[in-house]
Order: sequence, then C-alpha cells, then structure tokens
Amino acid sequence: MHAQAFPAAVTHAPAVRVRCEGLHKRFALKDREVIAVGDATFEVRDREFVSLIGPSGCGKSTVLNIVAGLLSPTRGRVLVDGEPVTAPMSKVGYIFQKDTTYPWNTVEDNIGMGLEYRGVRAPERRARVADMIRMAKLEGFEKAYPGMLSGGMRQRVALVRCFITEPEVLLMDEPFGALDTHTALLLHRELLTLWERTRQAILFVTHNLSEAISLSDRVILLGARPCSVKMDVRVNLPRPRDVIAVRETPEYRRIYGELWHALGREFQEGMTEVAR
Amino acid sequence: MNIRRWRILAWQTALFIAMFVVWQWGTQVTWLAQHIKILDPFFISSPGRIWERFFELSQPDLAQPLQVRIVTTVVTAICGFFVGVSSGFLCGLYLGRSPFLSSVLQPYIVAFNTMPRIALVPLVTLLFGFGAVSKVVNAWLIVFFIVFFNTYEGVMNVDRDLVNAARMLGATPAQIMRTVYRPSALAWTFAALTPAISFALIGVVIAEFLGGDTGIGYLIISSLATLEAADMMVALLVLGVVGIGLATLVKRVERYLLRWQPRYYGHHDPVV
Repeated sequence: MHAQAFPAAVTHAPAVRVRCEGLHKRFALKDREVIAVGDATFEVRDREFVSLIGPSGCGKSTVLNIVAGLLSPTRGRVLVDGEPVTAPMSKVGYIFQKDTTYPWNTVEDNIGMGLEYRGVRAPERRARVADMIRMAKLEGFEKAYPGMLSGGMRQRVALVRCFITEPEVLLMDEPFGALDTHTALLLHRELLTLWERTRQAILFVTHNLSEAISLSDRVILLGARPCSVKMDVRVNLPRPRDVIAVRETPEYRRIYGELWHALGREFQEGMTEVAR
Repeated sequence: MNIRRWRILAWQTALFIAMFVVWQWGTQVTWLAQHIKILDPFFISSPGRIWERFFELSQPDLAQPLQVRIVTTVVTAICGFFVGVSSGFLCGLYLGRSPFLSSVLQPYIVAFNTMPRIALVPLVTLLFGFGAVSKVVNAWLIVFFIVFFNTYEGVMNVDRDLVNAARMLGATPAQIMRTVYRPSALAWTFAALTPAISFALIGVVIAEFLGGDTGIGYLIISSLATLEAADMMVALLVLGVVGIGLATLVKRVERYLLRWQPRYYGHHDPVV
C-alpha cells in the first residue's frame, strides 16, 4: 500500500535538531583514566523539550558540554541540524548552573551582551533589551550590578541574556540547581512562558525528577558511570502547562514512579561500583 | 558623616597635634636632647625651624624654589606611574593569554624581578643621563613589574565559566578579551596601584639622589652635605603629603572603575 511505502510517522515527525551518536569521553587524570561518558546515543527533535537525568557524577554535564562544542568527545559525534559540532555554534544557547552574569556589567548591559557580540547596533540593542527586561519583570533593576541581586534574579538575567539571541537550540545545565525550591518553581514558570513563544529544541540537564517531568516532553535517563542511555520516556502532558498543577495528574505520577524506580536501580549500581 | 568617622578624625587630629607638640618643645629641653638622640634638634630639627626653612626654600628668586622641586618630582613620578601601569597591564594581559610566550619569557622575568631595582639606577643614569628621562625610567622599572605580575595573576584567575558563557553567547576571542579578561584582570591590577604610586615616588627620589640638582630627592641629599636637618624634614614632610594626595587620587579612580564590586557600591542586601 502507498501509505506503507511512505509511512506518515516518518514524513511528519519534526526534524532532528540535535543528534548524539555513540558519544564516549575519557579524561586522563594523573594516575588513571576516568570514563565520564560510556556510550550515549539519542536525539532531540524540533520544538522538543528533552531532559537528561541521572545520578550525580554520571556524566550528564559532560554530554551537554560536548553538545555545546565546549568539549570534544573521545569517540562519536554530535550533529546539530546535520552539521558536526566542533566549536560553539551561534544558533546554540547555553545556560549554566553557576551564575555567569558579568559582575562588572549592569543588568541591561549583561542582557545585551550576546547582541553586542553579534554586532547588533546600540539603538536596536537597547530596544530589544528593554523588551526582554519587561518580559522578565526586571524593570527597575536595569542599572543594577549582578552583585546587588539575589541568585534567582541573576539566573533570570542569564536566562533572558540567552533568549534574546534567539537560539534555535537551547542547552541548560542544571540552571535552577543552586536555587531554593520556591524560586526554582517561579523560574520554571518563566522558562516555559519564554519558551512557548519560541519553541526551540531544549536539552535540559538535571538530577531533579519533578523538574524534569513537569517541564519536558521527553525524559532520558542516563545510567551510573560510565553513562549511557538507560531509559527514554515520553511525557504526554498537555501544553501550555502549569508546572505546579501538572504534578497532581496521574500521568505525572506514573512517569515519576517509573523513573524513580529505574533511578533507584542506577543508584544501587553506582553504590556497588564505589564499593568495588 | 556619622559619629564613628568624627571620632576617628578627632583622634587623628589629636595625634597630629601631640606629635608636633613633643617635637617642638621636647627638642627644647636640653636634658632630653642630650640623652635621647631622636629628640636632638641637630637630627630632627624642630617644627618652628622647619616652618622657617619651608618659607625660605619657597622663595621664588631661588634657582629652584620648593614649588618647582615638588612639581618636578611629582610630574616625573606620575609619568613613570602611567608608563609603568599601562605597559605592565598590557603585558600582563597578553602574556596571561599566551601560555607559550609566558613559558619562554618566565625565567627572564623572574630573574629581572628578583634583581633589586635600585641596583639598576646607576645603569639607567648611565644610559639616560641626569635628566627627567632617567627618573621616569627608574619609576617605570619598579612599577611595571608590580602591575605586570598582578595583572598576569588576574588573567590566570579569570572564571573559566564566564569565558565559556561568552563563547556560548557568540563572542570572538578578541571580544572575550575585551569583555571578560580585561575587566576581570582590572580588579587585580587595581590592588597593585596604591603600592605602585609610592614605588614610582621611590624610583624618582632615588634617581634624584644620584645625580642632577632637581626635585625633592636632591633637596634631601644636599641637606646631608650641609647638615641642615630642617631642609631634610621639609622634603620628607612634603613627600608625605604628596604621597597621601596621590594615593587618594588612585583610590578615587579605583572606586569609580570598580564600582560594580560590592565593597564599592555599599552593603546592600540582595533584592529578591
């Protein structure tokens, strides 16, 4: 039959934005070698929000840094839109766990930095920064230095500093890991609001299960060191989502239970490995 | 101004007055002057005498009145300071970013830095004569290394994550240099500037000891020949005041350029 020759699932699936093929990363330490990433293969499609979770130290940040082009893999490769990644790409944005706002620049200068690097002229830059400041509810803090702000506000600055460059792929390394639960929840909401407008592909690293499920379309579980993909779970929760209300749904609970169980197994394996 | 600052100012003033009272009247008690060398007016003169000499040395009909000497010393020190700071900063910044070049130059830099800079003063004088150039070069030699090492350390200590953040925001190496390395290293450079300004003065005064007849340094060394303690004291007091003035100026500039640092914008509580 015609439909079988051209399966609808293939022709209509969104394009693959990020593809990791057999990523393997070894670090040489003084007296030994550490395998940070064993064999990671997965992909992120257009308009898709994907979380990478796993026990701490399982190499998920290493995977993200390889995708970003900040690290090169020992084996395997990363393709963004079919193009091999060798250095940071301008269409890929990155948000760090650590505060990476420039302490010597004011909030507005920080937000405009990516535009300045891209050669956007001052008048246009000012207008776009003002828009972003309004959207992130940072009005009144334009002239403040990051040191004057709380951790949550600084991370908000980092978030809009990235979004203003309109990245097509967004990589996030535990961006809310250093914040308290309440602030993190507020920022989850803000992230989804910003993302609903642009819908770029997101690869989000976290060790927080609730965070991963409430934000993502898919959750990929990486196993204990050396890490490889252990599970790939689809989150069928409707969008736009309320990050808090969504946690009451049966679907959320089902996925949480499933992942919790698998994560526990990985944790056990990690423990026995440490004991060995 | 709050009460605490008034109290500090009051104590500073009291200490100042007490010092001069002991100096003025202690040196007039013969017994004291004979038994305590430091209170002998032959060595330390007395405020009254110093005041007198201050005006005599400032007579405009002199070949080199005090004002001219002050200007000579201060201007050459400031020149040496600027040349030293700018060259030290640039070298520190670029050598810090160039591991190969800094490894090649490292033994030379260490050797040059361990050499007492004062030992170079005769060589510099030999090369550049007794004029202003010699003085500026001397000040430069001292200031350069202090600023260079601090800036270099600053570049080495730049937060790697900020550099990566800049790369991910699309910065070119030159843009990273300008927007991350430079401002970050500047904070370290400034830590060196207050000592640098006094070292610039040291370089100039030592050059003036050695040759020529200009500046405050010459006044000191010639008072040794004429055994006139008051002249020496005039020179030393002037140097003290000049030092305070220059250090305050540097602090002002630092306060402006590092206004993003918590210690300069005051202790605000973070806003939520």
